[in-house]
Amino acid sequence: MTASSLAAGPACPLPIAEVERVQLGHGSGGKMSAALLRDRFMPLLDNAALRRLGDAAVVPVATGQIAVSTDTFVVSPIEFPGGNIGSLAVHGTLNDIAMMGARPRYLSAGFVLEEGLSLDALDRVVAAMAAAADLAAVPVITGDTKVVERGRADGLYLNTTGIGELDPVLRPSPDAVRPGDVLIVSAPIARHGMAIMAAREGLAFEAQIESDSASLVPLVDLLRGDLARAVRALRDPTRGGLASALNEIAAASRVGVLLHEAGLLIPDPVAAACEMLGLDPLYVANEGVLTAFVARDRAEEALAALRSHPLGANATIAGEAVADHAGLVVLRTRIGSRRVVDMLPGDQLPRIC
Amino acid sequence: MKYLDEYRDAALVRGLGERIRATATRPWVLMEVCGGQTHTIVKQGLDELLDDCVEMIHGPGCPVCVTPLEQIDKALRLAQDPRVIFTSFGDMLRVPGSDCDLQQVRARGGQVRVVYSPLDALALATRNPDKQVVFFAVGFETTAPANAMAVWRAKELGVKNFSVLVSHVTVPPAMMAILDSPDNRVQGFLAAGHVCTVMGWTEYEPIAARYRVPIIVTGFEPVDIMEGILLAVTQLEQGRAEVENQYVRSVRREGTVPARSLVEQVFELVNRKWRGIGEIPGSGLALRPEFADFDAEFRFGLQDIMVDEPAECHAGDVLRGQLKPFQCPAFGSSCTPERPLGAPMVSSEGACAAYYNYGRLRREVGATPRAEWGSAESDSLTTDDSPLTTDDSPLTTDDSRLTTDDSLVTVPVPEVPR
Amino acid sequence: MCLGIPGRIVDRRDDRGLPMGVVDFGGVRRECCLAYVADEANVGDYVIVHVGFAISRVDEAEARRTYEVLREMSQLDELDWMREVADQGMSMLGSPADPAAAARETGG
Repeated sequence: MTASSLAAGPACPLPIAEVERVQLGHGSGGKMSAALLRDRFMPLLDNAALRRLGDAAVVPVATGQIAVSTDTFVVSPIEFPGGNIGSLAVHGTLNDIAMMGARPRYLSAGFVLEEGLSLDALDRVVAAMAAAADLAAVPVITGDTKVVERGRADGLYLNTTGIGELDPVLRPSPDAVRPGDVLIVSAPIARHGMAIMAAREGLAFEAQIESDSASLVPLVDLLRGDLARAVRALRDPTRGGLASALNEIAAASRVGVLLHEAGLLIPDPVAAACEMLGLDPLYVANEGVLTAFVARDRAEEALAALRSHPLGANATIAGEAVADHAGLVVLRTRIGSRRVVDMLPGDQLPRIC
Repeated sequence: MKYLDEYRDAALVRGLGERIRATATRPWVLMEVCGGQTHTIVKQGLDELLDDCVEMIHGPGCPVCVTPLEQIDKALRLAQDPRVIFTSFGDMLRVPGSDCDLQQVRARGGQVRVVYSPLDALALATRNPDKQVVFFAVGFETTAPANAMAVWRAKELGVKNFSVLVSHVTVPPAMMAILDSPDNRVQGFLAAGHVCTVMGWTEYEPIAARYRVPIIVTGFEPVDIMEGILLAVTQLEQGRAEVENQYVRSVRREGTVPARSLVEQVFELVNRKWRGIGEIPGSGLALRPEFADFDAEFRFGLQDIMVDEPAECHAGDVLRGQLKPFQCPAFGSSCTPERPLGAPMVSSEGACAAYYNYGRLRREVGATPRAEWGSAESDSLTTDDSPLTTDDSPLTTDDSRLTTDDSLVTVPVPEVPR
Repeated sequence: MCLGIPGRIVDRRDDRGLPMGVVDFGGVRRECCLAYVADEANVGDYVIVHVGFAISRVDEAEARRTYEVLREMSQLDELDWMREVADQGMSMLGSPADPAAAARETGG
């Protein structure tokens, strides 16, 4: 079956579907692909570079070095409370660029669509991408679409790559943390992961939990300028949760990290969902949380700066880097005892025990 | 969360710790049976609060850990069958079988799904009439009522494509096996609060009397555990050996009668193998003949699979409290959470996994001296001897049980300077 | 076996003869089987739920009574309690929330 026969009129042998769906032809590079791009992607993502539809986009950058980050999003289900894979993919890559202290400038988007995906769902994903990109004033300048057979791609896989311009002063790095530096966590944790869990079949519970997926760029902007020199490391704790991110920093900087349970905020429904499934919130994914290690003498200022923005209104000081137990993250419980918070070998699994 | 948060009150926990220390005139050895209790103790560092006055030995209260290797292998066989959607609680997914685990089977294309409740598995069966849905019915007595109901409903509703792979174990025989062991050091027990919620505590009264051990039915939150320990230590100091209920908000002496009743209708008591421990008579549950149709072992012809446990893994000794995980030659070297040899390293409640994570702190940093509990200053390194290096009972492979008689069993108490 | 958490029954219904209900766990709701507590638990009561089944009704009166006894029995003496509170208020930067409490602590 060729693209041209599909585009033919009343002689088309395919039954008329009630819901319009993605077909293999949409990825073949022919008329169907062009129509998909023209009718569904362009109206939403429209910008000068994209409009040229060249094999590659040509854009200016202001700095001699650029930050580049790529991430592929395979979340299932593709729509969940608080967002969808489209907004997630934009926020996620913007955040990765921002964690280098860089200013995101451009995005690309590569789609792998499953044959049979509803076009309405695709529209919602692209609309969310566009909204997220517009809010950050970062255009999607180039993209790609492929279609795979039914049964692959879980609906939709999405890769976004971001390009950013480095800041002259704000140059955080995971290996730059020193004993005495203070850990700030910008928002309550474990929301995204539990929102996804709640949306999964098989666990069947309802919760007022929304993903916290958001662009952290405005928070990072508040740390530029005068404060920038005091910001040692920035990290957004996504997969593996806060525990994994802190372990990576502890290892890279060769410091110990002392985390204070009393300094972490966990919303009640999130905590309840974790209880039900036997999951530890420290390992649950976040998509709108910023962690920052800041030099001790500027920490209060940094905290105040973050708190001045709605996304950082609940920022807390949650711990510090220490000289002891280099490479280990240790939690000081509310009771005052301590335990090691290690990396997990794989995913956390719901438990009954 | 109500009835949860208040039992995590830090001041209360610390206060109970003070009371325990004030009550104990010498060190005592207790065992908490349930994996969930182990989890709380390790996660909240309650061991640190008890200092040298109470040693907690982690019991075999992890049904995941004690599921015999051959049941895991049967599960893996079923999961690889293209006709089957294999459903299970999340805990089971990483338990190693003879050559792989359920997660790996899933990676290779097997249909393996995590469910929260056995009724979810039954619902999956009704939604997928062209597939066989098998549920891995693992657990202690707490989970038996749920699994029993799933089978009962399947029969009642005439669901033909649902079956269960059973691996149920019961607590009292295991406690007795531990107490009968010649190297037993356990002087009192925290009994599993949710097992007792279902079963009540009548089965423990003869055990307390015969072995002269206090048995405290205990909940799972830090306040519960500390209160349970305080009650046990108080009894030990007073020379009493009774069953006492700490978990009053959930447990009554007779348990939950309708639950016990349905369990009895669907299951019967059988001998069961415990991974690494061996067979304990009357310690397992199996489907009654009237429900044999729903037994996956018969439906899929797996009854005759027998598997020997590998020698390198000392799970059994650890599960019986004979061996501390770090005394196992494989611990931390050929056996780690990333590449576990046996279930106690895989399961989050398993003693080996708990020691691996929690114990690292003790070995590498040292215990938090009590003077520093209240300090917000950064914790300084201490040079306290790690309690993990105390010389405990040596490894024994002798499983022979003491001849039973009703004489008092006295446990030697180590001389420790006060 | 273990993971049983307390929740409040917010709805009851019958599923082809099986008593079911919706239980609220601090903001998370799930459908649970109430067959084992059908005679003693109603909407508004708290139950302990394990793998989607209510296995007991929480005895709220007993819980309240024993909790109060516990609190009295384990009261830290006043000085320790104040130190506790001061520590929790202390920021990471070493400046105490309550300078008076800090003075008490360093003073003895």
